[in-house]
Amino acid sequence: CKNELDVNPQERVTLDNYYKTQADAFAALVSVYDRFGFQAGGLYDKIAIMDAACDDHLAGGGGPSDINDLQVMSTYTLNSNVGPESYLWSKGYSGIYRANVLLSKIDAIPMDAAIKSRYIAETKTLRAIFYFDLVRFFKNIPLITGTIDPSQMFDVVQAPPADVYTLIIKDLTDAIPVLPATVPAATEGGRITKGAAQALLGKVYLQQQKWPEAAAQFAIVNGTTPGQANSTYGYKLLPKYADLWNPLNKFNSESILEIVHSANSQGGWGDAGASEGNLLDIITGPRGYSQLNSTAPDYYSGYSFLVFTPEFASFIHNDPRNFPTVANLDSLQNIAKSAKYTPGYNNTGFFLNKFIAHVANKTSVGTNYDLNFPQDNYEIRLADTYLLEAEALMKAGQSGVGSRAYQLFNAVRARVGLNPVELNMDNLMKERRLELAGEGQRWLDLVRWGIAGQVLQKRGFITGRNEIFPIPQSELNNTKLQQNKEWGGTL
Amino acid sequence: CSIVMAQTTIRGKVTDNTGQILPGVTVKANGTPNAVVTDATGNYSIKVPPNATLTFSFIGFATQNVQVGSQEILNVTLTITQNNLNEVVVVGYGTQKKSVVTGAISGVKGTDLDSQPVTRIEQSLQGRTSGLTIAASSGQPGSASTVRLRGFTSFGTGKNDPLWVVDGVVIDAGGIGYINQGDIESIEVLKDAASAAIYGTRAAAGVILVTTKKGKSGNLSINYSGYYGLQEPAKRLDLLNGTQYATLRNSALVAAGKAAPYANPALFGAGTDWQSLVFNNSAPKQNHEFSISGGSEKATFFTSFAYSDINGIVATDISKWNRANIRLNATYKPAKWISFGENLGYSHSVNSGVGETNREYGGVLSSAINLDPLTPAIITDPAVAATYRADAVRDPQGRPYGISTAVLQEMKNPLAYIQTRLGNYGWDHNIVANAFSDIEPIKGLKLHTSLGTKMAFYGGDTFTPVAFFNTSTAPSRSSLSRSITYVINWNIENILSYTRNFGKHNVTLLAGEGEYKDGNARGTTTTYLDIPATTFDQASFRFNTLAANRTTSGSDGTDHRINSLFSRVQYNYDEKYLATALIRRDGSSRFGSNNRFGYFPSASVGWVPTLESFFPKNNVVNFLKIRGSYGITGNDGIGDFAFVPTIGSGGQRNYTFGSTNTEVINIGYSPNAPANPDLKWEQTSQTDIGFDATLFQNFTLTVDVYKKKTTGILGNPPIPAYTGYGSFAQNISDMENKGIEFELGYRKQLGNFNLGVNGNASFFKNKVTKLVAGQTYIDDNSATFQTLGNITRTYINQPYNQYYGYKSAGIFQSQDEVNNYKSTNGTILQPNAKPGDTKFANLNGDNIIDANDKTILGNPNPTMSYGLTINLSYKAFDFIAFGSGVGGAKIFQGLRRLDISAANYQTKYLNAWSPTNTSATLPRIVDGDPNQNYSKFTDLYLESGNYFRLRSVQFGYSFPRSMISKIGMKKLRVYVLSENLFTITKYSGYDPELGVSNDAGGGAVYGIDRGAYPQARSFLVGLNVGF
Repeated sequence: CKNELDVNPQERVTLDNYYKTQADAFAALVSVYDRFGFQAGGLYDKIAIMDAACDDHLAGGGGPSDINDLQVMSTYTLNSNVGPESYLWSKGYSGIYRANVLLSKIDAIPMDAAIKSRYIAETKTLRAIFYFDLVRFFKNIPLITGTIDPSQMFDVVQAPPADVYTLIIKDLTDAIPVLPATVPAATEGGRITKGAAQALLGKVYLQQQKWPEAAAQFAIVNGTTPGQANSTYGYKLLPKYADLWNPLNKFNSESILEIVHSANSQGGWGDAGASEGNLLDIITGPRGYSQLNSTAPDYYSGYSFLVFTPEFASFIHNDPRNFPTVANLDSLQNIAKSAKYTPGYNNTGFFLNKFIAHVANKTSVGTNYDLNFPQDNYEIRLADTYLLEAEALMKAGQSGVGSRAYQLFNAVRARVGLNPVELNMDNLMKERRLELAGEGQRWLDLVRWGIAGQVLQKRGFITGRNEIFPIPQSELNNTKLQQNKEWGGTL
Repeated sequence: CSIVMAQTTIRGKVTDNTGQILPGVTVKANGTPNAVVTDATGNYSIKVPPNATLTFSFIGFATQNVQVGSQEILNVTLTITQNNLNEVVVVGYGTQKKSVVTGAISGVKGTDLDSQPVTRIEQSLQGRTSGLTIAASSGQPGSASTVRLRGFTSFGTGKNDPLWVVDGVVIDAGGIGYINQGDIESIEVLKDAASAAIYGTRAAAGVILVTTKKGKSGNLSINYSGYYGLQEPAKRLDLLNGTQYATLRNSALVAAGKAAPYANPALFGAGTDWQSLVFNNSAPKQNHEFSISGGSEKATFFTSFAYSDINGIVATDISKWNRANIRLNATYKPAKWISFGENLGYSHSVNSGVGETNREYGGVLSSAINLDPLTPAIITDPAVAATYRADAVRDPQGRPYGISTAVLQEMKNPLAYIQTRLGNYGWDHNIVANAFSDIEPIKGLKLHTSLGTKMAFYGGDTFTPVAFFNTSTAPSRSSLSRSITYVINWNIENILSYTRNFGKHNVTLLAGEGEYKDGNARGTTTTYLDIPATTFDQASFRFNTLAANRTTSGSDGTDHRINSLFSRVQYNYDEKYLATALIRRDGSSRFGSNNRFGYFPSASVGWVPTLESFFPKNNVVNFLKIRGSYGITGNDGIGDFAFVPTIGSGGQRNYTFGSTNTEVINIGYSPNAPANPDLKWEQTSQTDIGFDATLFQNFTLTVDVYKKKTTGILGNPPIPAYTGYGSFAQNISDMENKGIEFELGYRKQLGNFNLGVNGNASFFKNKVTKLVAGQTYIDDNSATFQTLGNITRTYINQPYNQYYGYKSAGIFQSQDEVNNYKSTNGTILQPNAKPGDTKFANLNGDNIIDANDKTILGNPNPTMSYGLTINLSYKAFDFIAFGSGVGGAKIFQGLRRLDISAANYQTKYLNAWSPTNTSATLPRIVDGDPNQNYSKFTDLYLESGNYFRLRSVQFGYSFPRSMISKIGMKKLRVYVLSENLFTITKYSGYDPELGVSNDAGGGAVYGIDRGAYPQARSFLVGLNVGF
């Protein structure tokens, strides 16, 4: 009679029966990667947040509260209850949890030793990525390296940021020797490589203003001769800047670490964040777009988010990177008369061309086109690491004409046909703004350079507060966590 | 000496008010020992002294005193007292005489439902009994209603649905729609825990027992009843016409500093009236029932066939429903000590639905409300038609349906949408049956065994053609889908009972055992993309599309099993002192070994003081029974396997590796939320005190007060996200309901005139008494609305799930007022506001208007419900009026899309604030709404949800028996009837009756109107024939 009540859990694999095989370990690793690419169900990701927050973009969309998390980011009206911080926080910590579970279980799994150590290295690199974002966004955060028993879940305290950086550096230095130099792009494109981990480590050092250490890591990634192929990893700037934004041109020679998307997961509205498609593509597209003749781009009608400010549009107007970066819809509609669109909220007419979805790339699987565009996002690409190494070297004192720093800096300009200019902080900042526009780097750069308050004041940015995000209120309820002093807390 | 008085003999016949003879009536000559009883033909004969008074008394009828005059023949008609105390009511696992029932049970008889044109059983109960609040979730034919017994019992949707038991077979709330109303003999609602506890773990939200009709030994009875009529919408919204719309849009855009788009609004005239295009003023509705019943000493049978066919009043071409029912109930009694039989109901229904019935994202009605009146419904000008895309939807004459250029997104020309959905349908087959045997080896000892099943097979075919509705909504691939699901639930019960009377001690003992299984739905859905068809009729799975364009998905349910032991003692002494005690033990597959079994006891007592010798004889209180009960019921309505640590897969764990065209989407696995092996039942304990009384012969009154408390409501409380795992199920919250219920009946006969009035009223008070420590509110099960986010919230010590938003502090009349609206530290709170904008109350007194200034704005759930039935008859004419209503509820009127600035408006917005209309209650309308007058949730969205609805009014005529008996008929009645003739309400939308529906968003929240399909008003003619 009692056994009658024991229902077989069927597809519900019990914890005790899992983590037994190499395939189990791989599936667990995949779940960690998933958090790296995790997009909010509310149709945004880290790039969208960073773009909305910076001076180059306005939130846009269909109205003043459409994707409200981006709106409040853009107007700096976010607080610990409202804003994108919950997404950033839980993305990081759920990734860390999955990484910690895998690291605690993998030792006991009988499997190929080399594969095991590679999985561990990938997991540690991903954990470092999660922590690096969390410590930059939230400063004082819990440092968790195991799994928390539910009975102790309210007892966790925050760690000093230095301890977090120590773990990040340790995870990366553990991982680097084990990771493969390259992976076959066709089948493993997107998995962490040695170069990706080193570029990350460089960024971590740069964030800590450890200039020589940062430059050393970037040098390995960038190769001996700026502008030429890195003989170890094969990295090389693409000859044509616009090719970076061809969704089919994945894992190109300039790509160091990519968030992979696919058109084939049939992601649906029930859980848009679970789609493998790229949601930036749909949200950046102009609303109500229709092509009147074939000279106009085949944009797929989108939701008109993250429009460029007129100020940025004029800043980039004469740069060779203008066209691949900015789509001027008013020009298409009113001058070329080749397309029509419906202005959205905050409309400027200038759209983020790097991401706008194209009809040609629409999925051929299923009918949920909006959520299944295949374009990848660059987490790190070579032009970025060129400029970062140049910055590190410059900070360490090297910037003269002909120096490596100067060569790196001007290699980025040369690729788009620009003449060399002097390397100084002002020029470097301009170059990063142009080269990496819309890619989610600008806001982090402004904060790192310490000029965010000055640049973003007109948007509502308050110096000494908005350099970090508020720790979500839900994390403070009943716990031992304290809000950062920037947000009125005690830490 | 003795004086012998002259005595005369009086003769006569006693009948009831329908003319039926009454055998067994006691006739007593007052002041003498003479008393007789009427014989089998209702006749009596008694000797009486002159001028004597005769008393006629019979259980269930009002006692009558008649002064004897000079006549020798005295025929008497007795009037039935209401709620016949001798009548038997169905209680869990048995029946009991109504006069000795100690629980709070309300009932509805099948005869009360005769000729009420409802097609779902929930509607049969609506307004009929106290304690039940029932609201239709949609006016689409065949739609289910939301049923709540004595308020809320738990959080969420499913856990508040009562348990339905039909002839002993447990049916889920969704599946109960299979039953044909004409087959219902009686419905009993077990309201208190003492009555319901015998259904243990599934009884917390109440139990509703349905008994179907059985044959009676004797004459064959053949009946037909049917009706036919037309339905229409009861109300239309006042929406802006073309000129008004263009004028309002102009002013909104000018206010936003933009150019006015319409140079001459007057040119647009009335424009397109989208409502009239989707509503049908003469949608037919019909129902036919045919039954044959009868039997002998050894066997009885009841067989019926019924057919209902209803066309909806909204988008009728794609809103239809029909159902055919067959019932076969039979019993066989081969020997005195054994009987067996079966009850079998089968139904098959076919429906086509408009799709979303209460949803602003593309519902037909929502599109009709929001589309601008400037867009023509059909493009008749060939020059304009030529500019339309080839894939724009066209009418049968090839003219494209107009596409709005102002109102886009999911809003589609409803005619175009209807065109693309023609033919799509869903279907179901239901079989609910049980076979039983009753063995009585010695008198009073019975073994009842029942094997029951509920089988359901359901599915549908849907075709979506390539269509261009607007630039946002344009399915560019055709798809054909077919889904099929089947469910087989079963239960087995063995019940042993023993009844015996020892003198005046009456005892019934019962012990039972049951096993139940449900939840094992299995389904598949197959979809073919890119088939070369443009209509449903052309579409077929015979088309061989590319393998990549054929997809199939399957679904598996999880068994939910329960096994139970239960026993009960019912005792009464002389029907004066009453007591019942019972206990049930349930084991459920949903709980871990720590708490797998739950015990559900209850006890109830009653006392009938009117039977006491010391109770003064009077004509005020004829009967009184005082009752009290306490019991515990359970709820296991949570997901399966919350007690086992499991590993999960799914989209939130997958990741892609590889280049375009060679990529692989890898399936990831990671732990689900931690398990909770201590998970246990939600427990609801309930105390009920009440009385049943008969007053002044003609009045019956039942009053119940109750207090029920649910502890350990299962929930997934928020946990810190830094743990990385998700929230897990815990027993966290408590909730309390208090209430009082009244049922009052009156029946009076004055000659040929009969009057019957039945009323009931229920008042509820709900309060959440416990949440996770440290939490003052939860947003679980909150309703959300477009960009407003959550619009309800549950606070501790407050009713469940109340509206939660900003309080409006009026409208700024001048720039000075804006500038003077300051925080305590002197900053202007709404620096960007302009005159005419909403002033949001700064409730927390800080220096910013933000989410912390939100507050409770009202309760979506009714706090009272009531119903009233009036029966009148005069000779062969009869009249029935029945109405019901609710009070204390607020409706969220969300008919307009907030995110489409060009959406049409109701005419009340013409009176919005403007510099020349400063006394307005609605804030100014400005394109983009910079102050968020309309895109922040303020009280302006809330309206009173109170209403009284005349649900049906009926007028009938029965042909005299003398006339119809010549052609062998026993009954011939014709009637006219109207449903929903009027509704008294202040609500500005279509229909204030808004139940919980999936479309209306999660959260078990009543009263959210996103453009809900309203209830129809109907006019019907009907016929009842009996042989």
